[in-house]
Amino acid sequence: MSAAGIYVHVPFCLTRCGYCDFNAYAGLDHLRPHYARALIAEAEAAAPDWAGEEMVSIFLGGGTPTTLDPLDLTGVLAHLRDRFEVVEDAEATIEANPDTVDREKLEALLAAGFDRLSMGAQSFDRAVLASLERIHSPDSVRTAFKAAREAGYQNVSLDLIYGADGESLESWERTVREAVALALEHVSAYALTIEPATPLGRKIAAGLVPPPDPDLQADMFALACDLFRDAGYRHYEVSNWAKPGYECLHNMGYWERRPYLGLGAGAHSYRDDHRWWNVRPPEEYMTLVGAGRRPTGGEEHLGPSDAFLEEVFLRLRTLEGIPASWVEPERAEPHLQGGLLSEAGGTLVPTERGMLLLNELVLSLTSASTPPVGLLNM
Amino acid sequence: MYQWPSGTNPARPYDRFAVTDIDRIRNFCIIAHIDHGKSTLADRVLELTHAVSDRDMRAQYLDKMDLERERGITIKAQAVRLAHTAHGHTHELNLIDTPGHVDFTYEVSRSLEACEGAILLVDAAQGIEAQTLANYHLARDAGLVIVPVVNKIDLPAADPESVARDLAELVGCAPDEVVRVSAKTGEGVPELLDVVIERVPPPQGDPSDPLRALIFDSMFDPYRGVIVYVRVADGTLASRARIRLMATKVETEAEEAGVMAPEATPVGKLEPGEVGYLVTGLKDVHHAKVGDTVTLAGKAGAKMPLPGYREPKPMVWSGLFPSEGGDYSELREALDKLKLSDSSLVYEPETSRALGFGFRCGFLGLLHMDIVRERLEREFGLELIATAPNVEFHVLRNHEISVVHNPSEMPQPGTYDQVKEPMVLATIIAPTEYLGQVMDLCQSRRGEQADMKYLTPERAEVHYVLPLAEIIFDFFDQLKSRTRGYASLDYEPFGYEPADLVRVDVLLHGEPVDSFSSVVHREKAYQYGKAMVERLRGLIPRQMFDVAIQATIGSRVIARETVKAKRKDVLAKCYGGDITRKRKLLEEQKKGKARMRRIGRVDVPQEAFIAALRVDQKAKS
Ligand SMILES: Nc1nc2c(ncn2[C@@H]2O[C@H](COP(=O)(O)OP(=O)(O)O)[C@@H](O)[C@H]2O)c(=O)[nH]1
Ligand code: SF4
Ligand SMILES: [Mg+2]
Repeated sequence: MSAAGIYVHVPFCLTRCGYCDFNAYAGLDHLRPHYARALIAEAEAAAPDWAGEEMVSIFLGGGTPTTLDPLDLTGVLAHLRDRFEVVEDAEATIEANPDTVDREKLEALLAAGFDRLSMGAQSFDRAVLASLERIHSPDSVRTAFKAAREAGYQNVSLDLIYGADGESLESWERTVREAVALALEHVSAYALTIEPATPLGRKIAAGLVPPPDPDLQADMFALACDLFRDAGYRHYEVSNWAKPGYECLHNMGYWERRPYLGLGAGAHSYRDDHRWWNVRPPEEYMTLVGAGRRPTGGEEHLGPSDAFLEEVFLRLRTLEGIPASWVEPERAEPHLQGGLLSEAGGTLVPTERGMLLLNELVLSLTSASTPPVGLLNM
Repeated sequence: MYQWPSGTNPARPYDRFAVTDIDRIRNFCIIAHIDHGKSTLADRVLELTHAVSDRDMRAQYLDKMDLERERGITIKAQAVRLAHTAHGHTHELNLIDTPGHVDFTYEVSRSLEACEGAILLVDAAQGIEAQTLANYHLARDAGLVIVPVVNKIDLPAADPESVARDLAELVGCAPDEVVRVSAKTGEGVPELLDVVIERVPPPQGDPSDPLRALIFDSMFDPYRGVIVYVRVADGTLASRARIRLMATKVETEAEEAGVMAPEATPVGKLEPGEVGYLVTGLKDVHHAKVGDTVTLAGKAGAKMPLPGYREPKPMVWSGLFPSEGGDYSELREALDKLKLSDSSLVYEPETSRALGFGFRCGFLGLLHMDIVRERLEREFGLELIATAPNVEFHVLRNHEISVVHNPSEMPQPGTYDQVKEPMVLATIIAPTEYLGQVMDLCQSRRGEQADMKYLTPERAEVHYVLPLAEIIFDFFDQLKSRTRGYASLDYEPFGYEPADLVRVDVLLHGEPVDSFSSVVHREKAYQYGKAMVERLRGLIPRQMFDVAIQATIGSRVIARETVKAKRKDVLAKCYGGDITRKRKLLEEQKKGKARMRRIGRVDVPQEAFIAALRVDQKAKS
């Protein structure tokens, strides 16, 4: 019994944003009506393997799940509840983009059981949205948020991105302040990361757009930390803030290395140091599932040192931290001194500065460590 | 293409040389300023004597090494044996092609030792240039008969008459004794060969005397071992003879004697005056030295060796290090092998805190350095890092001189009495309208004018004494650009002079980086230090703390920059599908860190060293 989760991937979007390297596609409208059927078929086939596993969260992500018909979404959720041991009060999140939802649709989703809504806002600055090549306006974010509240949503999260070309610290401050003013339950704020194989990555490589300035992003991070803290949010993971009690249970599962089943094109699954993933192209995925075959595209088994590295870098992303006994004291000491780590009750937790330098922190804490005995059968 | 006059070409077969009457042998070379057409003329001569079939002919046939063909210059002198009929007799011509770049003056003087005559080639559109003079003086001092030739008479801009007059004046002959050719079309080349046969004396020597053959070049062949190029002075060098190398006292069997025709062709024996190759069967590159004399083993051997060459003196030094993961012993082996075909290369082991184990190497000049490096990389598959080149310094302390080849070994200021640096006497020939520019340049390089004379009302020859360090880098490029390409340069060593030189060190977070130390003139120290720290600021990755980059003279800081501590190094997003990828990224980052060199607390990737050292050459230049 280890409090597992189910992730469902919907790979369709209205358009593709310039920075995005998710498994998401615009222009596959013809596949959309049949996608839910494939998901259900895959779930059906996977269910026996997960018998006895208690599911505490379901997360429909993408892509843009709300590009599917609400009836389809309702059907998928119902099927999952039916076939897996989903606990009564399981968290059920659905991601949405402004311009794909209205009050009516949101009411339907809430009624179907999606009690948590995570919306891709990214910014309240028109110029920043344009620079990110998002199709919606700040106003459509405001409208969609209002619609969510009117529909009855009491657990709403917004995604924000900072550090796009043209975004100043002041603009970012306005975005953060507006997010705070909405009295959200949860916010994710990500430093814009440039992936080479994206339109934005190519523009930067060609020198058409400047790359994000890491120092400015560090200032933006610090500003977000201050404003959200002042507004009563808990900074529970590098890029996530929540009002107490509203931390995303599903995402915590990734950082705590709890098991998860991934359904849909390109979705990853994990259980007991075994990770496997589905083929990415939606059409291929649907064809395989339609033919009654497993859509698995690859897998890996983690050795003890891989598992240890993951354990450390994932847990250190959160306020959970790691037991101090996992690392040699002389490795932790300089970082405790230098203000990147703090220790309480035998647990090492990153400070906000430490979160921002997490790679260095992890590398210097683990470089000579071997996995502590006992970790493997945790 | 020019048509060969009928009847000039004997049939090509080779064996008619089997034994040549010594009176019918002519050993000559072609000397010229760079680009005046030596290699092209050699091509025409090869064609004319049918030494190479039309099918095998390619431009600049004698420039064998890939590198030479790519750069269009001649590096190693090449010897080739040819047949030419004049006055009803077939003669054996041994043509030795020579390099034209000032770095390789040494190769030129070696090839001169194997000749009785030299074709002095001058471009009819350019006239006499600095290396024309330098090579002419070398050849004359070696006692060679000079055949003055004006080349490129086909060029519209050619002025053969006035160039012939200048050339006649230089060598002391009548203008109509100057031969006019076009190496491109072939016009005049048959006549030139007739003139060579007429004017260049045959070699002398007695085939029955004890054998003495001078090694004037050598190479290492992976299959056949050490091969030497020789010119026989006395006696007979026969295949299978037991021979002794007089300087190294090594004995071996002459596995095969042959001639380059122009491909290697075995012959039974080589007699006085003949030029050819010898497969020695030796495997150790150090046993066959250029300049040594080959004689017979045992009682039949000669008592006195031939006068050898003076050891070439390296002018420029640089550290060569295997790049990351590379092998020091492979580098040593490669250098040992290269040394055999390039005796001017010298090297000694060096240990750098920044770059590990390598060699401090001495080169004849920057071109030579580039070529050695490229050959090491190309022919031996090595990857190398080279430190910025420097000249050698003489440090005087309590009346004792120590020679310093490595800036990081230069003692700290105040611990010695004086430093001397190598000087050169430079010869510059330029149109008079650019003289002002030339003088400005020399002045800005700490030069002192020695004298000046007008060659014609439009062209002048100036001599300057300059520090070698000031001219090896970009002086020639500067000279060319200030004179729109019309000036030419040659220089020769001119002793050592005291100078106000200081060692500039570069410190990373307080730790000196030995490979970045440099010895520069005090007036240029600040500029150098500032440029170096600015460049490094862009190359040193941000660390977890602020890194100070300082340039110092002794304990005094002359320039400083800071690489600010990094503030952000985290993967923003990490959810289900990202974890595998992110873990791999972290592992990569970990590996990258492990590959870095540590200077004190600072991690520096090898690429940063390479980039800093590379730009450094440009900046200095
Ligand atoms: N027009 C013309 N060009 C020539 C002649 N001889 C050589 N060249 C060209 O001059 C350049 C330099 O010739 P090269 O033989 O490499 O000179 P080297 O540096 O003295 O060996 C090449 O581009 C040749 O094609 C000639 O007689 N006439
Ligand atoms: S909406 Fe999200 S998933 Fe779709 S393209 Fe934009 S960033 Fe990617
Ligand atoms: Mg040439």
